[in-house]
Amino acid sequence: MEHTNTTYYSKEHIWITVENEIGTVGITAYAQSELGEIVYVDLPEVGDSFQQDEVFGSVEALKTVSDLFMPVSGEVIAINETLVSHPEQVNEKPFEEGWVIKIQITNLNELSNLLRQDEYQNLTN
Amino acid sequence: MKIALFSDIHANLPALEAFFEDVERREVDALYCLGDLVGYNIWPNEVVEEIRKREIPTITGNYDFGIGKSSDDCGCAYKTEEEKANGTISIQLTNELITAQNRAYLRTLPAHIKLEFQLNDAKLNLLLVHGSPRRVNEYLFEDRAEKSMVRILNDADADVLCFGHTHKPYHRIFEVTESGTPQFKHAINLGSIGKPKDSDNRGSYVILNLDENSSVLNKDSIAVEFVKFEYDIEKAAKAVEDSILPNSYADNLRNGY
Repeated sequence: MEHTNTTYYSKEHIWITVENEIGTVGITAYAQSELGEIVYVDLPEVGDSFQQDEVFGSVEALKTVSDLFMPVSGEVIAINETLVSHPEQVNEKPFEEGWVIKIQITNLNELSNLLRQDEYQNLTN
Repeated sequence: MKIALFSDIHANLPALEAFFEDVERREVDALYCLGDLVGYNIWPNEVVEEIRKREIPTITGNYDFGIGKSSDDCGCAYKTEEEKANGTISIQLTNELITAQNRAYLRTLPAHIKLEFQLNDAKLNLLLVHGSPRRVNEYLFEDRAEKSMVRILNDADADVLCFGHTHKPYHRIFEVTESGTPQFKHAINLGSIGKPKDSDNRGSYVILNLDENSSVLNKDSIAVEFVKFEYDIEKAAKAVEDSILPNSYADNLRNGY
């Protein structure tokens, strides 16, 4: 399977862009829109490992808190520290500056459990 | 020390008057208002003036903040289109009714009040906010994860955090360990004087009882009393129905949601 710069989506409204075995993970535009203004992002620590579908953090919006679920198993190799002081970036640019973590993917085969863009759009329409 | 804390009057004068009658019988030592004086009913000026003439220390609520700035946004985070449309009518009416003097009062209310008690070996920080320490319009519902609540209290250096905004009263105690010593932190939601949403249509406020033993080290040393009082709901509901405000706001008052 080719994984160069390909974006996948989970049913839990997480996106992951994969390049080689590194995944950049964030919240979808649909999810941030449903949550409303995000006021805090609870981030994991670099070095933490999570299984697919395990909770790796949470986002706190004005009215609700939502857990963040790992799209695939992996180890956290970077966190977006900017979100500590500017959580609103998740609302403003969920696919760019609003990324949450970067992970070293443990098992690329798990990507097959995820949705492609058109499938995710069908889910949220 | 008996401290009465109240919030979320929302221009409901009959409820505010009943609250004053109730609280004046209870011989409290101090009164603090945690905001949202206006919105959703027809008496924003009367409510502001009742609080101003008593010189009650008051912090801003999200609705006060919006009206203070002559904004059409109350920061209410409405979810549905119907809620948004109704909310627009309410804030437009409030902006039309409020006097310049009362708007100037709302515009300059402080965001927080912090009271530091030194009653014994441990200090006790009481923080009064409207929504949360970090946002005037953040909703801290009772089901918020303990981890999140404890972080919010710690970040604000609050041992007792008092707030309103959700219109649903509760008291939660969190045990945290600092330097090997268990401490007890309190999150107290006051409910609402004039727009309760806890399925009880009476008004709601809180009396905190502190004494020389009150401390984070002793779980039961801070007594929190939730007071419910009856008021002339029909008068407040009829005022809504006789105005351009949505009739659903009158149902909300009658049913407490």
